[in-house]
Amino acid sequence: MLQAPSRDYSSVLGLALEKAKNALSSKGIVFSVEEGKGFYDIIVEREYLVAGATALKEAGFDHVVSLTVTDYPKEKKFRLVYHLTSYLDYEIAGAIIGLGVEVPRSDRPSVPSLTQVWRSAEFQEREVYEFFGIEFEGHPDLRPLLLTPPVAELRPLRKDFVVREENIYEGVPKSG
Amino acid sequence: MQEGKAYVGNLDVTAKRARDILLGKVPLDKVVDWATSFSLWPVHLTTSCCSTEFAATFSPRVDGEQFGALPWVGPRQTNLIIIEGTVTKKMACAVRLTWEQMPAPKFAIAMGACALDGGLFYNSYNIVKPWQVIPIDIYLPGCPPRPETLARAIVTLQRKIRSKKVASTWVREGWRGDIEPVIPKEDLCGWAAKSI
Ligand code: SF4
Repeated sequence: MLQAPSRDYSSVLGLALEKAKNALSSKGIVFSVEEGKGFYDIIVEREYLVAGATALKEAGFDHVVSLTVTDYPKEKKFRLVYHLTSYLDYEIAGAIIGLGVEVPRSDRPSVPSLTQVWRSAEFQEREVYEFFGIEFEGHPDLRPLLLTPPVAELRPLRKDFVVREENIYEGVPKSG
Repeated sequence: MQEGKAYVGNLDVTAKRARDILLGKVPLDKVVDWATSFSLWPVHLTTSCCSTEFAATFSPRVDGEQFGALPWVGPRQTNLIIIEGTVTKKMACAVRLTWEQMPAPKFAIAMGACALDGGLFYNSYNIVKPWQVIPIDIYLPGCPPRPETLARAIVTLQRKIRSKKVASTWVREGWRGDIEPVIPKEDLCGWAAKSI
């Protein structure tokens, strides 16, 4: 029976983190690392985002698997995290490293688009755009992806979006 | 010069009279209803997960074809929409466009709790109730309803068409008498949106 070679994923993750750190510090990029349960997020400042992404791509992280956004209404910010991994570099394939950036919360927040670095970020960024209203500068085709335009204008996944609560007796005529 | 008469007829009036004479006769009325009720072809419009049970209804076990219903691909050759579950706003646009393309007389069945009143997705920002989009004949509850339920709904619709003379009324009057036409109030497709 064929068996996949066994790999110790925690060491792969550590190796990937080392690689990412070296790539960033060799380019002189300021960053901080946040550790969670089984993942690492590298947080950079907004002006270092594109440079950092380019450095990570050169280090072997060749695609974006997902793009997550968290809304912090009290701290007035959004946090975007690009989750990166590799197909081609066997040493770090399977480890996922986050590249995060914080955006101040406003009516039209914007960040530079990373489609110029990773083409696989295109649809993810369109989805973030319609659900949170974050604009990506330099995105080739910034239209809503899943929602129709009137719904996308509501920014439905922001925390201050209020869903209308329907009373279960709404529209039922009162009797007696 | 010889005097003569010219007979000038109004083609529209004549055609309407001929139609009234033909369809007003009881047997032909019945034939129209009978034929429509046994050729209810649902269009394959999958809005959500209830479609698995829709597929099971037309598979060999329940065999929807024995009732005269056969799922077909193009809206131009069909006369029944079975709304299979949740209708999001984007899909509601497609439902309405399909409904407009179908030839009359046409009917609709709303299937699943989501199609009744939102079901699992009650109070969501992206859901419309199908009765706000097209006129519905039969509702069937369940999450999802069993294939037998859908088969029963088709048979019930056939009975309704025959007993209330829905199809022949539609052919004669241009609209069936028993349901109000529905025009969606929202901008479902987003054609009126300005910026985004
Ligand atoms: S009623 Fe249930 S099965 Fe049908 S669409 Fe809704 S959630 Fe899915």
